[in-house]
Parts: sequence; C-alpha cells; structure tokens
Amino acid sequence: MTLSTSILLAAAMFSVGVYGLLTRRHAVAILLSVELMANAANLSFVAFSHFRGGATGQLFALFALAITVAEVAVGLALVLLLYRTYGDTRTDAAKELRG
Amino acid sequence: MSLPVGALPLEAAPIPAFVALFAPAVAALVLAAAPALRRRGAPASWVTLTASLLATAAAVTLLVTQLREGGSHVWMASWLQINGAGVGDFGVRLDGVSATMLLVVCVVATCVQVFSLGYMHDEKPPAFGRYFAYHALFLFSMNLLVLAPDLLQLFAGWELVGATSYLLIGFYYQKPSAGQAALKAFWITKLADMGFLMALMVLYKTTGTFRWDAAVTAATATTVSGLLFFAVVGKSAQFPLHIWLPDAMEGPTPVSALLHAATMVAAGVFLIVRANPLFAHAPATRDVMLLVGSGTALFAACLALVQTDIKKVLAYSTCSQLGYMVAALGAGSVFGGFFHLATHAFFKALLFLAAGSVIHAVHSNELADMGGLRRRMPVTATTFIIGAMSLAGIPGLAGFFSKDLVLASVEGRYGWVPFGALMATAFLTAFYMGRVVFLAFFGEARGHAGHAHESGGSLLVPLLVLTVPSVALGWVAAPLAHLSGATYELHLVGVVPILAASLGLGGFALAWVVYGRGTLVVSALAPLERLVATRAVNRVYEVGYRRVLLVVADVLGWIDRYLIDGLMNFLGWSAVAGGRALRRVQTGNAQDYVFAVVLGAIALAAWGLLP
Amino acid sequence: MTVAIGFGVVAAIALLSAILVVRSPNLVHAVLWLGVTLIDTAVLYGMLGASFLAGVQVLLYVGGVVTLMVFGVMLTRRHDGLSVPAASGSPWRGALTAAVLFGVIAAAVMRSDLEHAPVAPTAGPPAVEALAASSQATTQAIGFELLSTHVLAFEVLSLLLLAAIIGAVVIARRRDHGALDQNARTEASS
Repeated sequence: MTLSTSILLAAAMFSVGVYGLLTRRHAVAILLSVELMANAANLSFVAFSHFRGGATGQLFALFALAITVAEVAVGLALVLLLYRTYGDTRTDAAKELRG
Repeated sequence: MSLPVGALPLEAAPIPAFVALFAPAVAALVLAAAPALRRRGAPASWVTLTASLLATAAAVTLLVTQLREGGSHVWMASWLQINGAGVGDFGVRLDGVSATMLLVVCVVATCVQVFSLGYMHDEKPPAFGRYFAYHALFLFSMNLLVLAPDLLQLFAGWELVGATSYLLIGFYYQKPSAGQAALKAFWITKLADMGFLMALMVLYKTTGTFRWDAAVTAATATTVSGLLFFAVVGKSAQFPLHIWLPDAMEGPTPVSALLHAATMVAAGVFLIVRANPLFAHAPATRDVMLLVGSGTALFAACLALVQTDIKKVLAYSTCSQLGYMVAALGAGSVFGGFFHLATHAFFKALLFLAAGSVIHAVHSNELADMGGLRRRMPVTATTFIIGAMSLAGIPGLAGFFSKDLVLASVEGRYGWVPFGALMATAFLTAFYMGRVVFLAFFGEARGHAGHAHESGGSLLVPLLVLTVPSVALGWVAAPLAHLSGATYELHLVGVVPILAASLGLGGFALAWVVYGRGTLVVSALAPLERLVATRAVNRVYEVGYRRVLLVVADVLGWIDRYLIDGLMNFLGWSAVAGGRALRRVQTGNAQDYVFAVVLGAIALAAWGLLP
Repeated sequence: MTVAIGFGVVAAIALLSAILVVRSPNLVHAVLWLGVTLIDTAVLYGMLGASFLAGVQVLLYVGGVVTLMVFGVMLTRRHDGLSVPAASGSPWRGALTAAVLFGVIAAAVMRSDLEHAPVAPTAGPPAVEALAASSQATTQAIGFELLSTHVLAFEVLSLLLLAAIIGAVVIARRRDHGALDQNARTEASS
C-alpha cells in the first residue's frame, strides 16, 4: 500500500459519492452520498498522516468527523421539514426557486 | 479683426447705407415680434411702407453721392475668423453698380407696396399684415444681396430672397396649387443654389476668401463662374430650370411684379455683373451663357405666344428678357446686361402692375375675359401700352436703348446664331405683347370686362410713377454707364437699331392684323399650343429629379426604420431573449445546482493541472 | 506481501459497498451498506496506524450517523405504500461527471511525487513537535496536539456541536402548539 494508492482509493470513493449526489432523488439518499464523500476525505487525511508522519492529518480527520456528525443531524432535521412541507422527500418536489 | 485690403471698418459706413439695409430689417423684425400689430392689418402696411420710403430716400442719397464722388468703397466687419483671418464679412460695398441697383430695387418695391395697399385691400387683416411683413423681409434680403461686399453675404441674401419668394408665392396657402407652386420654385432654385454653394467652396479652397476680386487662375475662374452660372440658371429662370417661373404666378400680382419680374430673378444677372472679375477670365463660361441666354430668349418667347393667362404671358416674357441679359453678359458686355436689367425692372414691373389693375377690375387672369378695356380703364390701358412698347423696343423708349446695346454686343458671335435668335425674339416679343394689348384693351368687351371700371388711386399712382423710367431711362444711359465703369455710345442710326426697331413695329402690326379684330385663337399656332400642353420639361424633372429624390428618401427611410431603429430594437430584444435563455438555468432543482458546483470544481482542478 | 493482499481486500470491500450504497433502490439497504463502508474504513484506519480514529469512527459514524439515518428513513416513509423511485434524471450525467472527477484527481496524483514532497513545518511547543515529528502518531501525540496547538478549534467545535443540536431541534419541531396544549390539558384533567 502506498500513499498514491490510498489517495486513489479515497478518490474513487469520493467519485462514487459524487455519483450518488447527482443521481439519487431521495433526500436521505443524498445525505448518504455526502457521508461517503466526507468519509473518503477523512481517509485521505489519515493516509497522509500515516505515510508522511505527523499527527496533523489525524487531527483534521477528527475535526472533520465531528463536524460531519453535526451536519448530518441538521441535515436530517431539514429532511424531516421537507417531508412535512411537501409530503414528499423527493428533492425535485421543492422547486419553488425555479426561475 | 483684420480687414481685407482696401476695406474700411463698418462703423465708418455712411448712414444712408445703414438705413437702406436696416430700415426694412427693423420693419420685418417689428412685424415678426408683434403679432398683435401685424394682425391688425393696416398698421403693418404703414410700418413696411415707412421703411421702404426711408430706404428709397437713402438709396437716392447714395446714388447722388456716388455720382458726385465716384469710385468704390467697402465697409466691413468680420463675423467669422479662421486662423486670425477674416473669412465671413458683413458689410456694405458702394459703387456705381450697387448704388444703381439699390435705387431700382427700392423704387420698384415702394411702388409695388403702394399698389398692394389697394390691390390687397380685400384681404382679411391678418393676411394683409402677413403680406406686408413678408415684403419688409424681402426688401431687407434684396438690399443685403445688392450691397454685399463678398460672395458669402451675397449668398445669404440670395437664399433669403428665395425663402421670401417661397412665402409670397404660397401666400394664398389655402389653395393647393399655390403651395405646390411655392414648393416647386423652392426645389428648383435650391437645386441651382447647390452650384452657388460649390462655387463658394471652390473659391475658398483656392483663394482663402469669398471675394470675387481675388486673384485666381483661369481654371479656378472657369470652375467658379461655371458653378455660379448654374445657380443663375435657376434663379433667373433660364432653360432648363425655367419651369418654376410660370407657376410662380400663383402668388399675388404685386409679388409677381416685384420678385418675379424686377428684382429677385434679376439677382442672378446682378451676381454675374458683380462677379465680373471671375467671369472675365472664363471665356468658356461666357460662351455657355451666350448660348443658353439666347436660346432661352427665343424658347420663352415662343411659349408666350400661346398663353391665355395674362400673367403667364408676362412670366414667359420675363424669362425671355432675362435670356437677353444673360446673352449680353455672355458676349462680354457687362453694361449691356446691367442696363437691360434696369430698364426691364421698370417696364416689366409696370406691365405686371397694370395687369394687376386689369385683373382686379375683371376678376380674372384670362385674356378671354377681357376686351375693350381702353375705354373703361384709360390710365391703365395707356400705361400698359407704354410698357409694352418699351418692352418691344419701340424707338425712343427705354427698352429700345437697352435692347439695342444687347444686340450690338452679340453681333458676329458664333456665326450670328445668337444674334439671329435675339432678333427673332424681338419680333416675337412685339407680337405677343401686341396680342395681349389688342385682346385686352381693344375690341369688344367679353364677360366681366363690360362692367369694369378704372382702378383707384393707390393702384394708379405706382403705374404712373413707373412709366417715367420706362420711357426716360434710355436717355440717361451715358451717366449710368459711367457709373458702372463702362463707356457708352449712343447710335441711333445703324443696321442693328433700324432692324430691331422695324422688327418691333412689324410685330405690333402683325398682332393688330391677327388679333385686332378680336379673334382669340389662331390655328397656325396650334402645334405650339400642343407642345406647351405636353409640359415636356416639367416631365423631365418629374422623373429625373422628383422621383429620384423620393426614391432616395425611401431608401433613407428604410435604413432609418430597419437598420438604425432595427439595431436598437435588436439590442432590446436580445436583452430580453438573453434573460429568457439564462432563466432556463434556474430549474429550481437543487441537484442541478449541485451539478453545476461539481462541474466548477472539476474545472478548477483541471486548470490547476495545466502545465 | 500479506499486508498488501489485506489492504487490497479491505479496499475492494470499501469500494464495493460504496457503490452499493448509491445504487440500492431500497433506502434501508443503502443505509446498511453505508454502515458496512464506514466499518470498513475504520479497519483501514487501523491498518494505517490510526487506532484512536478507528474507534471514534465506529462510535460516531456507525453508531450515531447510521442510526440517525435509519430514523430519518423511517420518519419520512410514505404511508400509502408507494415507493420513491430511486434515481432521478439521467444517471449518465452523474456517472460521467463522477468519472471525470476521478480522472482529474487521479491525474493529479499520478503527476505528483507524493512520497517525496517536502513537509511543511508545524508550529507548537518543542515537546509536541518532537512527538509530532516522529513517524508514528500515537493517541498521546494526538491528545497533546489537540489541547495545545488546536485548543481554540477544539473549543469552537464544542460550540458548533451545541449549535447543531439546538438547530436540529428548532428546525424539526412541530409547530401546532394549540394541539399540544390541548392534549396536555386533556391529559392533565383526566
């Protein structure tokens, strides 16, 4: 396992997350994809920390983790609100900002 | 302020010159600025008449001074300076020619205005006032032209008299024919004025001034004089730009007398006399003038033979006599042209005013409605006949002397063709004037003529006044010539004068034979009548000038509507369309916005990858 | 050698489960696959010497986030039995974009020599620096640095979490006070 390989793995997981972000219609599914992307980023941080030395990478991953958890909480609250307002969790139900 | 060589400052100019110039201007301004005064009618006429009398008195004074002292003086003030040199000058030039012309103009104008007091009496006061306001403006414009020290001021006066002519021809604006005639006069003379404008440009380009006595090369002289002559062809109604003059008879008869007989149309001839230094160096232009002038004289005289409207006869006659003047100038006799101008001004104005008296009495312009008027309108008849004889060149009257001078100057030129034309014209002139005299004043009264009565004092006095120079001016030719810097010899005996006199008398005699017994129509002249009816020259302008102008106007209108406006409309449309297109980006779907963000991120990353 | 195979297997599982997360039509399945992915990532962390982080990952992500997701799915389920179509629009747009993104990052990775790039110097007390500079980052080292160099961020993070809690509560609470009071009074009187 080399650093480059780890970063490539992280990049691959990130891309999968992007695919889900752009494709899925259910709001919770989109949150899942965002989770994937954050997770991939954390992985790359840890990989750098391991292969290059220093604790900074893991520290950043720690912070990112905590922040992501908070973000998920708020995000799910928003999903609940979305469901309550539109009766539907599909993201294309909320099109009020259509120009 | 630098004055040209030999010019004196304007402030030093003699008072009469200012009076002559500005009295009518003040009158015009007062009448323009005080509509209440103008619309009262009679007060306006007093204002104009006062100004004209003042101007006439000033003109007399100036002429007397000129006779005493002689020489030429210029007083100028620069109103336009380029590179420190005065280019546009306003001022007064006094010499024999301008002093004489000034007097002629002022006398005729005053007579016409007095005549108008009676003739236009039946007009409503607002129209009456408007008429006299225009007269004041005209007199100012004509004086501006006559006293001009350079071609620029002359051009200003030229255009102004053209504008005044338009206003006065179209005086009866409720009549569509009057409006059309005014417009036609304006457009034809405007075409000719382009020549004047171009002449000014060429003159300035080559000499840097607008004075006609600047030193020029032969080529420049030919160009400038040629262009100036083109303007003269329009203003003085020479062929082929003569078509506006008969139509101009739509205006009131006094106007026809003043503008379209004596003064305005003579301005073209006056211009050539003035700019003689240029024309003297341009033999080519002068040859053209000779041919055009003599041709026009004959052509117009033929057309006058078949007119039934008395004013139209006189109009074509004016055209023909102007041809005489132009021919004389073309032949090189400056004084010949100028002298004929002066005599013609008087007797033609007399003829028109007398015709006006007749028209006023019988309420018609047509010869068919006249007849036997010498019994009922003796003064009018006598003065008219005197004027007609002067025009025909009957010996002893003024016209005889001036015509003789013209004929003498064209002797031998171009194989005697112009001479022959002018001689034939002399015969025809006497013939058609005789026709008018016998049809209108002799024979049996037709129609209204049976109830006609002599006109009032204000109509008769000018007739009497104008008769005097029509008779006597010929005898003062010598001092007149001396004033103009020419020499004059009187020859009463010789081939030319005898031939001319006999042609004049013969024409009258033939007219008596043909028309004296009252026959109106002569079958021999029928082809000529048909020719006139075709309005051939008018048709040429209809197609070549008016239609072309309309096409150009249409094209320009199209460009304005579709290209210029189109551009603006397009800008507006594109803004709206662009907005509408961009609006489609805002789908409202959050995932589409995320997609855009991701694309942006990819783009940034890719840009970072670039070497 | 075995280490390499181990890495390969773990990496494969991670990728596979990630793909299943985004492709499962059934949402609960997707959540569960996410759990698998997260656990697998924790294993990766362990292999990369971040044992503390691995533990935190399992605790927070798997225990917390996945549970939250399940609740979210349950609370927003349609009661008429109709299921939500999983994929929207054209999947090709997403696939292409994801592929291009991966390509760009891979190109960057390939082009740069990650192993031998210079290290930026870290600031902090000498003891921490010595520890930090060592090749192995132990939990002790993480703790030290957390509470010395990044103490401000640490405190702010706690504030952030507080804000998130309050925000989530505020956003998601019901607004029909009338009915609740009614219920409360009814319950109180009975």
